[in-house]
Amino acid sequence: MFKNFFHSKGFGLVAGIFIILFILPLFAPRFYVYILALIYVTSLLAMSLNMVVGHGGLFQFHHGVFYGVGAYAVALMLTKTSLPMWVGFIVGPVVAAITGLIIGWFCVRLTRLYFGMLQISLGSLIWAIVFRWYSFTGGDDGIHGIPMPSLISSLNSSYYFILIILVVCLILMYMILKSPFGSTLQAIRDNSQRCEAVGINVRRYQLGGIVVATFFAGVAGVLFVALERSVFAEMLFWVLSLEIFIMCLLGGWFTFAGPILGAAITVALRTFVGKYTEYWTLILGIMLILVIFFLPEGVMGFFQGLFKPGMKEVAERGK
Amino acid sequence: MLQVEGVIKSFDDFMAVDGANLTVGKGEIVAVIGPNGAGKTTLFNLITGALKRDRGRIVFKGEDISELPPYEICKKGITRSYQIVNIFPRLTVFGNVQVAVLSHQRRSSNLFQPAQNIAVKETRSILESVGLLDKEKGIAGSLSHGDQKILEIAIALGNEPELLILDEPTAGMSPEETQAAIELIKRLAQMRGLTILFCEHDMDIVFSIAQSIMVMRHGQTIIQGSLKEVRSNKEVQEAYLGGE
Amino acid sequence: MTFGPAELICQLLVGISRSMLLFIVCAGLSFVLGVLRIPNIAHGTLYMIGAFATFSVTKMFAGSAGFWIALIVAPLLVAVVSLVAERALFCHLYQREHLMLLLFTFAISLILGDLVKIVWGAEYKSVSAPALLKGSISILGASFPRYNLFLILIGPLVAVAIWLFTNKTKIGKISRAAAVDREMVGVLGINVSWVFAIAFVIGCYLAGVGGALVAPTVSITLGMDHTLIIEAFLIVIIGGLGNMWGALVGSLIFGLTHSFGVLFWPQFAIVFPYIAVVIVLLLRPKGLLKSVW
Repeated sequence: MFKNFFHSKGFGLVAGIFIILFILPLFAPRFYVYILALIYVTSLLAMSLNMVVGHGGLFQFHHGVFYGVGAYAVALMLTKTSLPMWVGFIVGPVVAAITGLIIGWFCVRLTRLYFGMLQISLGSLIWAIVFRWYSFTGGDDGIHGIPMPSLISSLNSSYYFILIILVVCLILMYMILKSPFGSTLQAIRDNSQRCEAVGINVRRYQLGGIVVATFFAGVAGVLFVALERSVFAEMLFWVLSLEIFIMCLLGGWFTFAGPILGAAITVALRTFVGKYTEYWTLILGIMLILVIFFLPEGVMGFFQGLFKPGMKEVAERGK
Repeated sequence: MLQVEGVIKSFDDFMAVDGANLTVGKGEIVAVIGPNGAGKTTLFNLITGALKRDRGRIVFKGEDISELPPYEICKKGITRSYQIVNIFPRLTVFGNVQVAVLSHQRRSSNLFQPAQNIAVKETRSILESVGLLDKEKGIAGSLSHGDQKILEIAIALGNEPELLILDEPTAGMSPEETQAAIELIKRLAQMRGLTILFCEHDMDIVFSIAQSIMVMRHGQTIIQGSLKEVRSNKEVQEAYLGGE
Repeated sequence: MTFGPAELICQLLVGISRSMLLFIVCAGLSFVLGVLRIPNIAHGTLYMIGAFATFSVTKMFAGSAGFWIALIVAPLLVAVVSLVAERALFCHLYQREHLMLLLFTFAISLILGDLVKIVWGAEYKSVSAPALLKGSISILGASFPRYNLFLILIGPLVAVAIWLFTNKTKIGKISRAAAVDREMVGVLGINVSWVFAIAFVIGCYLAGVGGALVAPTVSITLGMDHTLIIEAFLIVIIGGLGNMWGALVGSLIFGLTHSFGVLFWPQFAIVFPYIAVVIVLLLRPKGLLKSVW
């Protein structure tokens, strides 16, 4: 599968980027290392959402819940139990995926909008419980000072840890999307009725897609904890879920790497605009409005439209 | 092979199908005809499981399939093409057919092998048999309407069906495309030993390839029989020559 | 956890008063959702502006008169803001799909939220109830705040006003028709654009009223918009999208289960309404009453 990739023109560019990213901590200031690591975590989260929304066509309106659940799971494992730390790292994504399975099972029986509405209500319920369970989850304070294995306890080492896991996850996601499972998911997105008619149990595949995507969201949650050593109740609040949606919109739904671009833009904007003014939310809001008005396909989708006219025409016809 | 017995389906108060009977023997080519709104597409939806009947039975190869969901019915050996093009617009032509082939081979849930290398031969052979192999890399949504209708049939072939249901396969086609499509259907039926059930408005097509014809009107079966029997039936003459 | 029938009744009435407040806000949200098909996340921020504006106006006038004036002025201010937003921005987007509209209203809520921060600062504010409504009355020996009694009386008034508007006035009837079939309304020669503008402003006005009414009962903070809007959306969803009576039913469910929670498990009181919402959606995914969608 990757034979073509190694020979393609893109490979040189991507390899170059990764080499730069790997040696970055050696000469860049701590702040930039931290921001990049945060971008990696957010990218993984956005990519995981795009699996179900962009490639699966589901109205996953509260995806942040699975990210938060994964993060809280690992935080609780590391602070409340004396099990080896790496066990917590595995438990996080697994708990997220199980939550995805349970919530998904209830939601998949409904179509489109109602899928989204039920998910919002279930996700909000989880937020409310975590928000109030002060003694267990820290309530609206969250949990802080989470201990990390010494191997990744410095900023640079956690940077490498996050980058490596991100790359592994991206490779896995790419393989999954190019696999028969992935093409079936995309076919379901385009025409679920036809899929039923060719023998595909649509609900089962959608549920499978949700489990995979929420697993990766849980991984992103674990990486967040590795970086910040904290968890916050905001991770389970609806605002974050909407922000991830916006990252996918900004970057482009139907491309593979679009969400990475969207995540990078959002985190970078928030950080750098935030350095100049405390009113960065205002700026973000204005930029979002501009994108909605002028770039309906997202930034990457816009560029793809320039180079692949066929796809754009298909998208237009679809509307 | 297929028996539809006294099937009734209503939507709120509207009786879309009000007592339909149909018999399709193995290897036959059967046509369903009737004026617009007679219930032909609804009948096809009922057979393929897209709709659930209110009353009546649908039996396929001796098994009652009336209660099965669409994906189960497909696995039993029935597939269909749609009157209004119902393809996967964003996928390539190859990808469109491959979805069906992968499903048939039970390899749709394969997670880690690249899809482009799986079931290539089978998909290509189907594309070749319908004449779309040279367009396999094109995006389905950008094909001409006639080609999309052919792709419709190709997708339905992906599951290696025993019974192929075609809902107005030549609707919207030019005369040349229609001719080609008819030849294609005849060839497919022969080569693959398919049983074919179709509906059409173009009577020339019906009379040229159908061995048995079922006539519907107002959701009911008027008669099913050979060309001669149907032509000489008084009710049919009324429905077609009186009303139209 | 010892309480007698008096406390029970008081808490029940508190629940109803909270429901009335929620109803006023949700009615506006549901109205805009039904007529314009816009899921307006900025509705919560407009509610917040109503509360902050009430703070400012109350401060301007000594004594209780300030609150009553604020009750009139603050929602009007909110209405003006919404009119500006609608004419300048919203009306160009009606053809877009709902997801884009939703993200757009989210962007507006971010912008307005920061504008509130710029104008009023980040510290929380408080407003005291007017003298007439301060203190409590005694119900069967338990004390019940007068202000909540006021809310219980206002709620049905607003409900009746809304009903009269949508059923008895020309614009109201046109709005209802537009909710069901906007193309037909256009075909009939009615200026749909102005109908939408008016409907939008009225919906937002109700958000302002809600914000003004809630001001004496909570601390007015940034972020109250985001907390409110998720509750408002859930209420509108379980009631039936675009359905006024559904907003009432949903608000009652939400408010009463919250009060119930306060009685039995105060720490997790807020969880009870969310559980109720989940149960309703599991049983009736499209909401309890008929939705306009």
